[in-house]
Amino acid sequence: MVQAGSKKASISKINTKAGISSLIIFVVLLLAWIAGFSSRLFAVIRFESIIHEFDPWFNYRATAYMVKHGFYNFLNWFDERAWYPLGRIVGGTVYPGLMLTSGSIHYVLHLLHINVHIRDICVFLAPVFSGLTSISTYLLTKELWSAGAGLFAACFIAIVPGYISRSVAGSYDNEGIAIFALQFTYYLWIKSVKTGSVFWAVAASLSYFYMVSAWGGYVFIINLIPLHVFVLLLMGRYSNRLFTSYTTFYILGLIFSMQIPFVGFQPIRTSEHMAAGGVFALMFAVGVLKYLQSMLSKTEFKSLVVFGGLIAAGVVFLAVVLLTYAGYVAPWSGRFYSLWDTGYAKIHIPIIASVSEHQPTTWFSFFFDLHILVATFPAGLWYTIKNINDERVFVVLYALSAVYFAGVMVRLMLTLTPVVCILSGVAFSGLLELFLREDDNNRVEDSEEDEQSTPSKRLYDKAGKVPKMKHEQTRDTDSIGPNLRSIVTVVILLLLMLFAVHCTWVTSNAYSSPSIVLASYGSDGSRQILDDFREAYFWLSQNTADYARVMSWWDYGYQIAGMANRTTLVDNNTWNNSHIALVGKAMSSNESAAYEIMTALDVDYVLVIFGGVIGYSGDDINKFLWMVRIAEGEHPKDIRESDYFTEHGEFRVDAEGSPTLLNCLMYKLSYYRFGELKLDYRSPAGFDRTRNAVIGNKDFQLTYLEEAYTTEHWLVRVYRVKKPEEFNRPRIPVANRVVKSSKYISKKNTKRKKGVIKNRPQIVKGKRLSSQKLK
Amino acid sequence: MKLIILLCSFFAASLAQGPTLVLLDNQVIKETHSIFFKSLQDRGYTLTFKIADDASLVLSRYGEYLYKNLIIFAPSVEEFGGSLNVDAITQFVDDGGNVLVAGSSETGDVLRELASECGFEVDEEGAFVIDHHGFSVDDNGQHTKLVVSSDNLIDAPVIVGPKKGVAPLLYQGTGILTDVENPLVLPLLTADSTAYSFNPDQPIKEYPHAVGRDTVLIAGIQARNNARVVFSGSLSFFSDEFFTSSVERAQGGLSAKKSGNEDVSTAVTQWVFKEHGQLRVRSVKHHKEGEKDAPNDYTIMENVVYTIEIDILEKGQWKPFTATDVQLEFVRIDPFVRTTLKRKPAGQYEARFTIPDVYGVYQFKVDYDRVGYTRLFSTTQVSVRPLQHTQYERFITSAYPYYTGAFSMMIGVFIFSFVFLHLKEDEKKPKGD
Repeated sequence: MVQAGSKKASISKINTKAGISSLIIFVVLLLAWIAGFSSRLFAVIRFESIIHEFDPWFNYRATAYMVKHGFYNFLNWFDERAWYPLGRIVGGTVYPGLMLTSGSIHYVLHLLHINVHIRDICVFLAPVFSGLTSISTYLLTKELWSAGAGLFAACFIAIVPGYISRSVAGSYDNEGIAIFALQFTYYLWIKSVKTGSVFWAVAASLSYFYMVSAWGGYVFIINLIPLHVFVLLLMGRYSNRLFTSYTTFYILGLIFSMQIPFVGFQPIRTSEHMAAGGVFALMFAVGVLKYLQSMLSKTEFKSLVVFGGLIAAGVVFLAVVLLTYAGYVAPWSGRFYSLWDTGYAKIHIPIIASVSEHQPTTWFSFFFDLHILVATFPAGLWYTIKNINDERVFVVLYALSAVYFAGVMVRLMLTLTPVVCILSGVAFSGLLELFLREDDNNRVEDSEEDEQSTPSKRLYDKAGKVPKMKHEQTRDTDSIGPNLRSIVTVVILLLLMLFAVHCTWVTSNAYSSPSIVLASYGSDGSRQILDDFREAYFWLSQNTADYARVMSWWDYGYQIAGMANRTTLVDNNTWNNSHIALVGKAMSSNESAAYEIMTALDVDYVLVIFGGVIGYSGDDINKFLWMVRIAEGEHPKDIRESDYFTEHGEFRVDAEGSPTLLNCLMYKLSYYRFGELKLDYRSPAGFDRTRNAVIGNKDFQLTYLEEAYTTEHWLVRVYRVKKPEEFNRPRIPVANRVVKSSKYISKKNTKRKKGVIKNRPQIVKGKRLSSQKLK
Repeated sequence: MKLIILLCSFFAASLAQGPTLVLLDNQVIKETHSIFFKSLQDRGYTLTFKIADDASLVLSRYGEYLYKNLIIFAPSVEEFGGSLNVDAITQFVDDGGNVLVAGSSETGDVLRELASECGFEVDEEGAFVIDHHGFSVDDNGQHTKLVVSSDNLIDAPVIVGPKKGVAPLLYQGTGILTDVENPLVLPLLTADSTAYSFNPDQPIKEYPHAVGRDTVLIAGIQARNNARVVFSGSLSFFSDEFFTSSVERAQGGLSAKKSGNEDVSTAVTQWVFKEHGQLRVRSVKHHKEGEKDAPNDYTIMENVVYTIEIDILEKGQWKPFTATDVQLEFVRIDPFVRTTLKRKPAGQYEARFTIPDVYGVYQFKVDYDRVGYTRLFSTTQVSVRPLQHTQYERFITSAYPYYTGAFSMMIGVFIFSFVFLHLKEDEKKPKGD
C-alpha cells in the first residue's frame, strides 16, 4: 500500500503541471461558456423568452411542426400557407440541421421526462451552442498555435459582438449552430491534415455534413479547404497526409452533402462547387507525377510535367466550359457574383440588395463588432505567416478570404469573427508569453504537452528574430526590464477589460432587441414597451377567417405565418422574385390597379408597417423604394422608379412629393386618416416623425379597402380588401350623367315628414287641397 | 271547416312571395292598374299600398326590413315621405331587396337619382319616346304611343318569357339611357331604330339623348348581391288599358287582338321578384378517382372527380337545374384546367380530370353567370402537393449501369481484400521457410 502510495505521489508530481493546466483549461472554457451564455440573455431578461426578428419565426414554426408531426412529415411538408397560391415545399427548401438539432434536444429531454416547451429550446439553443463554438475554437487554435492562444480565442469568441449579433437568446437562426459546425469542421480538417489519418478526415466530413445541413455558408468550407490544399500544392507541400485527408474528406463530404434535399445535386452541378472537384483531380495528378518522378529521369519528367500539365489544364477547363454551356453545370448564381462586384446586385437583383445585411460593411461596424480584436488580428496573422506550416497556411487563407467577404457584405462579418478571434488569441498569447515569461522557468511552461512543445519553441525562436516589426519588441527580448513588463501587461489587461466592457455594452444595446417588441425610454428613464407587432398579429389570428390571405411586404411573411397563423403571399424565403414583384407592384400602383392584382391573388387583408407616429425608421415607406425597384425589374412598363421622385430627384412624402407616390397604395395605406392626427401641440396635424415632414396627401378616402385594425402606436395597420360583391351596383357618377337633374332641396324636417308629389291630381275634397298647399 | 281554413292558410303561406310595398302617386293608379296588382296578389304577394308622400313610410324597423319587394308606381314623386329616400332605397337594394319602378314623361328627380344609382338614366322631364314609324293607330298625333315588336325584347326567356308568339307591346312614356360601362345593366326592351326620345311639344334643337335602339324602354339590373331592379319608362305599360286593348301599328301592319303587355309584365315581375332564375349550389364534392371522401390534399398528376349539385327555384321549391354549359375551372392564379361539367342522370354535374404537374394551392371554381339567372359562384380551395419522398421511383432503368457499377465495385473490393490478405500470408511463408 505504502509503495503504491509513494508511486502514486511520484506520478502525481510528474502530472501536477499537466493536471493544473488541464484544470485551468477546463475552468477557463467553462467560464467562457457561462459568460457567453449569460451575456446572450439580455433580451430574455429585459423582454421575455421569445423568438426574435424574422427568419427565426419560420425556423421556430418549422421546428414546432417537426416536433408535432415527426421528421418524415416535416421532410414532406408542403406549406400551403406560404407563398399563396404557389405554396412551398418546406422539406426541400430548408436546411434542416437547426430543426433537427433542437428537435432531438427536445426528444432527449422529454425522454428524460424533462418537459421543456420547444420554444424555450429554440430560444436558448444559440447561447448554448456559443459555448460549443468557443470550445471548438479553442481546439482549432490549439492545433494551430498553442493551448494558451486557444484559451484566449475561446474567451474572445464567447463574447465578441460580431458573433453575439447572430446568437443571442431568441435569435433562433441557422448561423447560431453553423458557426460551431464551421469551427469544428475546420478543427477536424486541421487535425486530419496534421495526422493524415482517415479517421480524422471522416470526422471532418461528418462535421461538414452537419454544417451542410445547417447553413448555406457551407460553400465557404467547400471552397476554403480546396483552396488550402491548392495553395499547399503550389507551395510544394504535397504529402501523403494531405492526399489521404483531402480525398477522403472530399468524396465523403460530397456524398454526405448530397443527402440534404435542399442541396441535392448542386455539389456536382453548380460552379460554386467546381473548385473542390478540380482540386480533387489535381491532387491525383500531382500524386501521379510524384510517383512518376521517382521512376523517370529529370529531363523526361520536366517535359512530362510541362506538356501533361498544360494538356490536363486545358482539358479540364474545356470540360467545365462545355458542361456549363450544355447546361449540366449551372453558372455562378447572382448572389455569388454580388460577392465580387458589389454593384452587381443593385443593378441586376434588387431583391438581394434590398436586404440591409447584404450591404457592404462600413468601417464603423468592423470596430463595433470586433473592437480591439480588429487591431490585434493583423498581428496574429503576422505571427502565423512568419511561422508558417501546413495548417497555418489554412488559417492565413481563412483570414484573408473572410476579411474580403466581410468587407463585401455586413452579413459575412459572421464568418470573419471566428478567425479574428483565433488570430487575436495568437497575438495576445504571443505578447503575453513574451512579457510574462520568467527567464528561468520558461521551459516548464513549454513542456506542458508534448505536442505543443515543438511549435511553441519555434515560435520563441522566430519571434525573437523579428522583433523590429513590433514596437513593443524593439528592445531585445531577452532583456526586458521588469517595469516595462508590468506596464505592457497592465496595458494589455486594460485593453482586454475594455474589450469585455465594449462587448457587453454592444450586446446589451445593439443586439438584444427582439425587434418584434420595441422598447422606448422616456426622459425620466422609464421604459415603455411597444408591443404593436404582436398586437396586430394576435388581432389577425383572432378576428380573421382561418384561410384569410394577408398581403404584406415580404419582411413580415414569416412573422404573420408564425404568430398569426395566416396565409401569406410572400415571405422572407425570397425564392420567387416575380411573385414578390407582383406584391411590390400592387403596393406601388394606385388603388384601382392594385385592386386588380389583389383580387387576382385572392387577397383578404393588407398589412403595412407605419412608423410615422412613433418615429420608427424601419417602416414600409422607408423600404418603399425597394418595392418599386423590385416591381420595376419585372414590370418595367407599369412601374418606373423615377416616377416616385420629385423633379429634383428627392424621395419625399410631403406636398412636394411626386403625385405617383402620393397616390400609390402603400402611401395611402400608411397615411390613411393620418392627416387628422395631431401628435403634439407643436407639430401640425399629419406630421410624420420618421421623415420629419407634414404629409402631402391628407384627405383621401379608400375605395377598395377599408381599415380593419390599427395598433396602439399605429405601427401596424391592417386593411380589409373589399370583395367584388361589395361593389354592388356600379352607379353613374354625377359628373358623367347625361341628363342633369336640378338640385332638389328637401322640404322634409323632423316634424313634417310628408313628401312631395308634383301635379297632384285634383282630388276634389272641398277646399282642403288649396289650404294644404298654402301650408 | 276549420281544418280546411287551416289548410288554406297553410297553402297561402307556402305560396306567399313575401310582403311588398307599393308606392303610388294617387289612389287612382290602384284602379287603373288593377289587373297587374291582381295578378301579383294571385301569385301570393301581400301588397301594401301607400301614397308616395305618406309621412309614415318606412322600409325597415329595428334593422329588419318590413318588405322584400318594393314597387314604385309614382312617377311624379318629388320627394318620398317618411324615412324613405334614395339612400334608403339603394340600401334596401344592397341588402337584397328587389325594386320595380315605373316612370313616365313626368318622372321626378328622386326617381332619376334612384335610376342613376343603378346604372341608368331617365330622360329629361317631359320627354317621350317618339317613333314616327312605329306609333299605334290610336295615337293622339304626337306619335308617342308606340307599338313595339316583341323582337325588341331581350334574348332571355327567364326574364321576359318566351319571345316567340308574344303579341306586340304597347308603350307610352319616357326613354331610358343605359351606362355602357356598366356590365350589369340589361336592356329588357328597346325601342325600334326609328325611335328617339324628346319632348314632343318642343322643336328639336339639340341632338336627343337617346336615339334608335339605344333608347331603352324597360331596363333591368341584377346587382352583384343578386338583388334585382327593373325600371320602366312607362307606367301605362302596366295599366289595364294597355293590358287589354288591341294593338295595331299605323305603319308596317303589326297587329294583334290583345297586346303582349300582360304576358311580358307578368314575366318581368316574376323575374324581378325572384320567382324565376334563382340558382343555388346544393353541394360540392371532390375526391380522388376510386375514393369517396375528399383528401386533405392532392398530389400532382392524380385523377380527380369533382361533383356539384345545382338547384333552381321553381314555384317555391328547389329542383335540380338542367344546363349544358356549366364549366369548371381549376385555378391557381390562371386556370390550369377548364372543362365542361357533364350532367349525370342523378342530377349532379361531374368532371373528371388529371391534376397538372404543378404544385400549389388551387381552387375548383364554378362561375356560372348567365343573363337572367342569379350568379352561381362556388370556389373550393385544395392544395396540390408534390410527390412525397417515398413516392418516387425506386429503381430507374437508366440507372442500372450505376447499380452494376456499385455492386461490382463492392464485390471487387471484397475479392481484392481477400486476395491481398491471402497473398500477404503467402509472402510470409517463404520468409518463414
